[in-house]
Amino acid sequence: MSQHDNSPAHQAFLTVSAALTGYNSAELQGTGCTGEYWHQFRQVLPEEILNRFLSHAQSLGQGDDDQIIRQTYLSDRCLGPIARSLIQLWYTGQWVPLSQEWRESYGASRFDVVKIISTRSYKEGLVWDAIGAHPMGAKQQGFGAWALEPPRKREAGQ
Amino acid sequence: MNAITDDDRTYDVVIVGAGFSGAILAKELVSAGHTVLILEAGADHGKTWETYRSYLDQYYLSLAKTPNSPYPDLPTLPSPSVLDITAVRGTEPDTNGYFVQRGPLPFGSNYLRAYGGTSLHWLGTSLRMMPADFEMQSRFGQGVDWPFGYKDIRSDYERAEWEIGVSADAEEQTPRALGIKTSGKHDNRGYFAKGYDFPMHSIPSSYIDGFFARADGMPIEIGEDPKDTVKLKVSRTPQGRNSTPRKPKNANGIPVGRKMRYQFRPRGSTGPFAYMGQRCEGNSSCIPICPIQAKYNAMKTLEDAKHIRKHHMKTITQAVASKVELAESGRVSGIVYKKYSFSGVAQYELRRAKGKQYVLAGGAVENVTLALASEICRTSGELGRNLMDHPYMMTWGSAPEPVGPFRGPGSTSSYANFRDGTFRDRTAAHRLEIGNWGWNFATGAPNTDVARFVEQENLFGKALRDKLYHDVQRQVRIGTMVEQLPRSTNRVTIDPAYRTPMGEYRPVISYDLDDYSRAGLATAYDTCTQIFQRLGIRNHTAYNPSDAGYFTYDGRGYTFFGAGHLVGTHRIGTHPRNSVTNDVMRTWDHDNLWMVGAGSMPTIATSNPTLTMSAMAYRASRAISDAVRKGGAK
Ligand SMILES: Cc1cc2nc3c(=O)[nH]c(=O)nc-3n(C[C@H](O)[C@H](O)[C@H](O)COP(=O)(O)OP(=O)(O)OC[C@H]3O[C@@H](n4cnc5c(N)ncnc54)[C@H](O)[C@@H]3O)c2cc1C
Ligand code: SF4
Repeated sequence: MSQHDNSPAHQAFLTVSAALTGYNSAELQGTGCTGEYWHQFRQVLPEEILNRFLSHAQSLGQGDDDQIIRQTYLSDRCLGPIARSLIQLWYTGQWVPLSQEWRESYGASRFDVVKIISTRSYKEGLVWDAIGAHPMGAKQQGFGAWALEPPRKREAGQ
Repeated sequence: MNAITDDDRTYDVVIVGAGFSGAILAKELVSAGHTVLILEAGADHGKTWETYRSYLDQYYLSLAKTPNSPYPDLPTLPSPSVLDITAVRGTEPDTNGYFVQRGPLPFGSNYLRAYGGTSLHWLGTSLRMMPADFEMQSRFGQGVDWPFGYKDIRSDYERAEWEIGVSADAEEQTPRALGIKTSGKHDNRGYFAKGYDFPMHSIPSSYIDGFFARADGMPIEIGEDPKDTVKLKVSRTPQGRNSTPRKPKNANGIPVGRKMRYQFRPRGSTGPFAYMGQRCEGNSSCIPICPIQAKYNAMKTLEDAKHIRKHHMKTITQAVASKVELAESGRVSGIVYKKYSFSGVAQYELRRAKGKQYVLAGGAVENVTLALASEICRTSGELGRNLMDHPYMMTWGSAPEPVGPFRGPGSTSSYANFRDGTFRDRTAAHRLEIGNWGWNFATGAPNTDVARFVEQENLFGKALRDKLYHDVQRQVRIGTMVEQLPRSTNRVTIDPAYRTPMGEYRPVISYDLDDYSRAGLATAYDTCTQIFQRLGIRNHTAYNPSDAGYFTYDGRGYTFFGAGHLVGTHRIGTHPRNSVTNDVMRTWDHDNLWMVGAGSMPTIATSNPTLTMSAMAYRASRAISDAVRKGGAK
């Protein structure tokens, strides 16, 4: 599942994911979940929409990413909901289905259902790192770690 | 029609239920040389490391990580789930879940039917009761008195603490040290026996506990009398999870239940990975599952029992006790059970277990449905009545600085100040538990925060990361647990209209909160607000009239949940007319039948019930052992 995939489409998926999540592509790959998420993403999206989603990757990383993300993704009727589901996928390991309205306009997939992708994806949800904790029920921090000062905020790549 | 096959062997004692109570009884009785059979309705998925692992995987994959989420919910053997709780409206009962809820308020508690019972997903809080809790009627004119007092059960508390493996320091746990203004002058004296201490040192306090401790010393008025004003104090909670074993100060050891014990040896996980879980590693998932079993569960005691005398102890799982049969003498002659081979397929063989003494230890609700279905224990009319729980109310807010939530056990400390006091003639006593997992129980954090920030606040990238750190690091939550009084109208019954696919009766529950408990919750809410004001915590608590557990008091609305503390349904007492069993849990009506568990407790007080219930299991086991030895009638 987590074989290395160097295809341009997969690279584009990582580039957009990095811009959406605030984690760089090395960190994303470090979760070991990119393969599974890429698979889920392709299963849900019609090919033409997938291509459109990835096509903007090339304009990222050259200046004002924030504006590109807001303009071409978040406020777009078609790409916005996908982007929001993708962010949540990375953060929680859970696929959040697209709305009924979206499906009627752009196509429904039988894989577009709510689910936690895998036991690994639960544990690798970025939210745990973002909040300065560990996934509940995994990656335990050791006896008494809860008594220590809260961890400081970590920036991307730190 | 199924014919009933008799089991080949007759045991000294047949026990229904492999939870805390069944496990302790089995270990004690086997140690005393008796033969024991345990009938357990659930499947034994926890026996090996692989199957326990599969529970854990199921937890990771569950969308709603409820207490029962890791464990199989079999159509053959449904367990109640918190997801089934809805408001009960009108006169039609709510039949969504396993419980049939008659209201007026929903009974929000659950339990687990599997080998090990509810111990698999309990939190581990292990509190003794206060001396006043045994004398509610004589001290406050509320509820009933117990047939015995605190000092009578003290040495059984010691046994239970050393069986469960409770981490705490005795000097921190006296009523005085906890900052309680006890209702009785001498309640503090001899709370612990001389020389006694817990088997392991306290679990370290969380950073959050330290943050709340900044309000220590703050005066809170609790009654009308200024003398009742208490000074707030954060105190550590005794917990059934492994920390560091105590080295006895005295070379002779520590007196435990009238025996000297030396250093405690923590038991890790059951199964082949025995070196795991000898210390709590901070997995932060005690409810619903401790991945390493550093938290006590009854499988450990059951395992001990098997090792003490292999041939004396037999467990049959996937065996649902269905009917207690009586001989003409009124004594129990056998227990009919349904043995199913495949979890989930409602096909079974009917068998009959035989013993000299019989014990129901299936939990406060299941003991009652079984007894009602068998038409036994009817003299007092108390069977199934006086159902109590700790109505659980949450208040949550944002601290002014990061406090490091989502680390460590679910709770390590509480405000115990309000566990007793003269105010209990009007207002229910309560305990304010400090949560270590942010708003997880209250709002589903942190996943719901992600959803809100992404879907509603349109955040992404670095800003999303920053916002998550900023907000979630500040999440604090207090859980109030308030006592309930025994009320005959809060009860469990059965109705032939409601059965499981296996043909067993489903519990039909009527439940309400009286003004005594409501007053306690309202008072606790005010205290929480004051604490928030003092510490600069922004209050985010929201109670919504559409919440299943919404209720009002004095013109204000609150929401409560169940705590999983099912108590009172087959209480002990002094007389066949006021109770179902006597003070050693032998049923008044049937000489060789015993009912053991938290259902035996006449009042619930403010302590999570399991330690007291376990102590009572020692009390029962001695009496049962005597009864086996004497044989025949009493
Ligand atoms: C989420 C949660 C958290 C909790 N946390 C705490 C805590 O921190 N501190 C505390 O003190 N208490 C806590 N409790 C309460 C505690 O779990 C119970 O008090 C305790 O488990 C009761 O023990 P028991 O042995 O009587 O019953 P159980 O543990 O429920 O075990 C009963 C067993 O009997 C079996 N059984 C039932 N009926 C039959 C039948 N007819 N035939 C065969 N077998 C049967 C069941 O399958 C089960 O295995 C918590 C409860 C919940 C739900
Ligand atoms: S904090 Fe973790 S290791 Fe400790 S008891 Fe809870 S789940 Fe087990």
